[in-house]
Amino acid sequence: MGFLRKLLGNRDRIEDTSNKNQGQQPNQPSSKKLSENVEYLLNEFKRTDDLKIRAMNNGQAVLMYFEPLVDQEKIQQNIFNPLEMGHVEHISEIPNARSSENLEEMIPTLLRGHAIYMEDGSSTITRFNVTSVFNRNVEEPQNEKIVRGSHDGFIENLMINLNLIRKKIEHRDLVVKYFKVGKKTNTNIAIVYMDGIADPEIVQKLEKRIKSISVDMIQSPGYLEEFIEDNPYSPFPQMLNTERPDRVVANIMEGRIALMAEGSPTALIAPSTFFMFYQASDDYNARWYTGTFVRLVRLASFIIAIGMPAFYIAVISFHYEVLPDELLLPVKSSINEIAYPPILEALIMVVIIELIRESGIRLPSPVGQTIGIVGGLVIGDAVVRAGLVSNLMVIVVALTAIASFVVPSNELSTTLRLMTFPLIILAGTFGFLGIVFGFLFLTVHLTRLESFGVPYFAPVAPLNINDLKDTFVRLPLFMMKKRPKDAHPLQEKAMGESREWVQHEQDNNKN
Amino acid sequence: MSKTTIKTKLSRRQYFFIIVQTEIGVGILSLPYDLHSQAKQDGWISLLIGGVLLQIVLLVIWLIAKRYPDKDFFQINEAVFSKWIGKGISLLYIAYFSMVSMVLLLLFVRLISLWVLPQTPFWILSLLMILVCLYLASGGINVMARFYTFVSVLLIVLLGFVVYSLKDSQIVFLFPILNDGWVPVIKGANEAVLSFFGFIISLVIYSKVEGSPAQRLRTIFYAHWFVVLFYLFTVITSFTFFSTVEMSFIQEPLLYMLKSFDFTIVARLDLFFLSIWVVNVATTLTTYVYMTGLGLTDVFGTKKTTPSYIIAAFIILVPPLFIGYNMERVDQFNNFVVWMGYIFSVAFLFIIYFISLIRGSLQKGGAS
Repeated sequence: MGFLRKLLGNRDRIEDTSNKNQGQQPNQPSSKKLSENVEYLLNEFKRTDDLKIRAMNNGQAVLMYFEPLVDQEKIQQNIFNPLEMGHVEHISEIPNARSSENLEEMIPTLLRGHAIYMEDGSSTITRFNVTSVFNRNVEEPQNEKIVRGSHDGFIENLMINLNLIRKKIEHRDLVVKYFKVGKKTNTNIAIVYMDGIADPEIVQKLEKRIKSISVDMIQSPGYLEEFIEDNPYSPFPQMLNTERPDRVVANIMEGRIALMAEGSPTALIAPSTFFMFYQASDDYNARWYTGTFVRLVRLASFIIAIGMPAFYIAVISFHYEVLPDELLLPVKSSINEIAYPPILEALIMVVIIELIRESGIRLPSPVGQTIGIVGGLVIGDAVVRAGLVSNLMVIVVALTAIASFVVPSNELSTTLRLMTFPLIILAGTFGFLGIVFGFLFLTVHLTRLESFGVPYFAPVAPLNINDLKDTFVRLPLFMMKKRPKDAHPLQEKAMGESREWVQHEQDNNKN
Repeated sequence: MSKTTIKTKLSRRQYFFIIVQTEIGVGILSLPYDLHSQAKQDGWISLLIGGVLLQIVLLVIWLIAKRYPDKDFFQINEAVFSKWIGKGISLLYIAYFSMVSMVLLLLFVRLISLWVLPQTPFWILSLLMILVCLYLASGGINVMARFYTFVSVLLIVLLGFVVYSLKDSQIVFLFPILNDGWVPVIKGANEAVLSFFGFIISLVIYSKVEGSPAQRLRTIFYAHWFVVLFYLFTVITSFTFFSTVEMSFIQEPLLYMLKSFDFTIVARLDLFFLSIWVVNVATTLTTYVYMTGLGLTDVFGTKKTTPSYIIAAFIILVPPLFIGYNMERVDQFNNFVVWMGYIFSVAFLFIIYFISLIRGSLQKGGAS
């Protein structure tokens, strides 16, 4: 029922949507005696001190609420003001009050930050929504910045996040479904999709997987991800996570499903493909030449990020003959003095870069810059002068690190940096052949992966030539008339003839 | 409604690439030499003759497969020869497929150790190879098809390398044509047929491909001629790059040819060529692992497929370890498998077809 109301646009009544969850609650009819009711609630809440009991009418009635959860101003405004102004005779007549006779129902209600009013001699309990909400602004997420395009981002409040999506898709087919996950935390989860575009089979699959989660605590979508993804043992993320509403909206319109959770600004997109991680909103706002160029650079960064150190190691430890004569001397002179074999050099450097990166994240930003200087300049320079690492290796590893940060998704970026290690080891033991085998394993793995029954490496494997328009390149938008096939959209057509005016104008000019 | 269930059938494009990737494999490096050793500079004619003759076999394959539209090859065996004899014949085929895989593995590792890694022990390289193949094959034919289609991009790169070498080619080396008459050319056709033996895959997975029989036959032929032309191109390039005398000394002409080029950015193109060639070997070997595994699954009627592939990989991996780099035994084994190839990939297919014909007409007679 709740989501239906939501669909009709009744968006601001948060308590309505939660009603359906109360149907499953056990029933404990309230008694006519006030003291019994209060005692019951106090016992249920283990006599916690922040449960405030405010006596009214000489102790004939009480107002109960969790002090940290409610907004005192709202109590004044919603409950006392109408009484004082004489608009209503009795508290239960206040328009936004709801009443019930089930004490058990009051427990989650109180936990949501509502206040309840009980009177002696009446079993009716009246409750008011006086929750206090603290939100940060919907500012651009730090980890997914773009140059052009919308600069808003999701925040920790589910309702506001849904609001951002609904504002961008004003259509009756946009469906939101709520789930409660986490037996103790009771986290609100929402899935959002376009009915009539998203494949109902995938929606069902997702619902089933969410429902089968049985844990005490769910903290964030990242937590949820491991419970519902197809292959948790794969290093690759199988659901795109993003904090950008425009990215979520674009994916919903492609027939994918967004999954969001209360308390986290991250939305998960299912089903995802590998190449989705390389699409940024920027590509679509820039001219398509630029978009294509930038995307090619990004995809090249994938190869550089995982293959570059391996290639370098293979060349200098196995295949010197690959270097042309002119390059041979500078390379040789740079690595001649180094005490360690190249594979060790590379491992040391990659680990150092990871250390710098990780400490940079954890430290407060002024100190973080210091780490950048100390790590980047001092260590980089000193390590070469000390003869521990050749300067070519520093170049290679630095380039690799930069390339790995090009990916618009932090998830995949970490995966890439992880993939460097096995490739470095393979290259250090088998040379080119090791790299080939490494890449073979990698591509076979990517081809085998599926995200909610949808091939992960689409549209390359399985090949879909039509969808390549938005994979390696970004062709003009009016050429992408169909939605990508990998999401199994029910409606393939995404746009009609949009530039027929060209023909019209030409005809007009002729006349 | 559900597109996932429809998708379980292979598209014809995937069928095409499976056949192509299976046929192009280890042989491509030594094919020019092998042809040359029999037919001298007329080797390319042998190749064409072989290609044309094989069409008959492909036609027979299609005729067999058409009669059993929803059975894979091993199930066809049981349908044609009755259950137990069929299972026996399937076992023979499994033995054949695994022996081909062993030869592939032996030749692959031998070449790698000759050209790139002379010190590396045999078992490491073969283990790596078989692991990749096992991982791919156990994903099932759909995953294989996706992968094969994807890596076919590399064929273009390979062709690019070869095209570059054309700049130094001399057509003169192809003359005189038919200097020694037709006999060596026909003998060379024998060598040519060898490099096509992967075509049996078109029979094994025929039932898993969508489309009408005629469409599928066309795909088989397209794939076959793609491979013939691909081979022809590499053979003619190497024949025109090296003179007839040189050719008789060079076992891997393509590699030597690429070795001679020197660019400003990289030297030794042959190493890059070889790296890409590894992928082609892997796809070929994977197909054979798949066929062996599929056969084991069918014959023993197991429900889970992964164990059969693991067993198949194990069967394929272990015997070559005892042969290793022993060239004499590799060659003996190779020759033996070639003969088996003629029996199982050519002769026996005719027998299967005729028996199925007889059975078919008997059943028809019985029914009427």
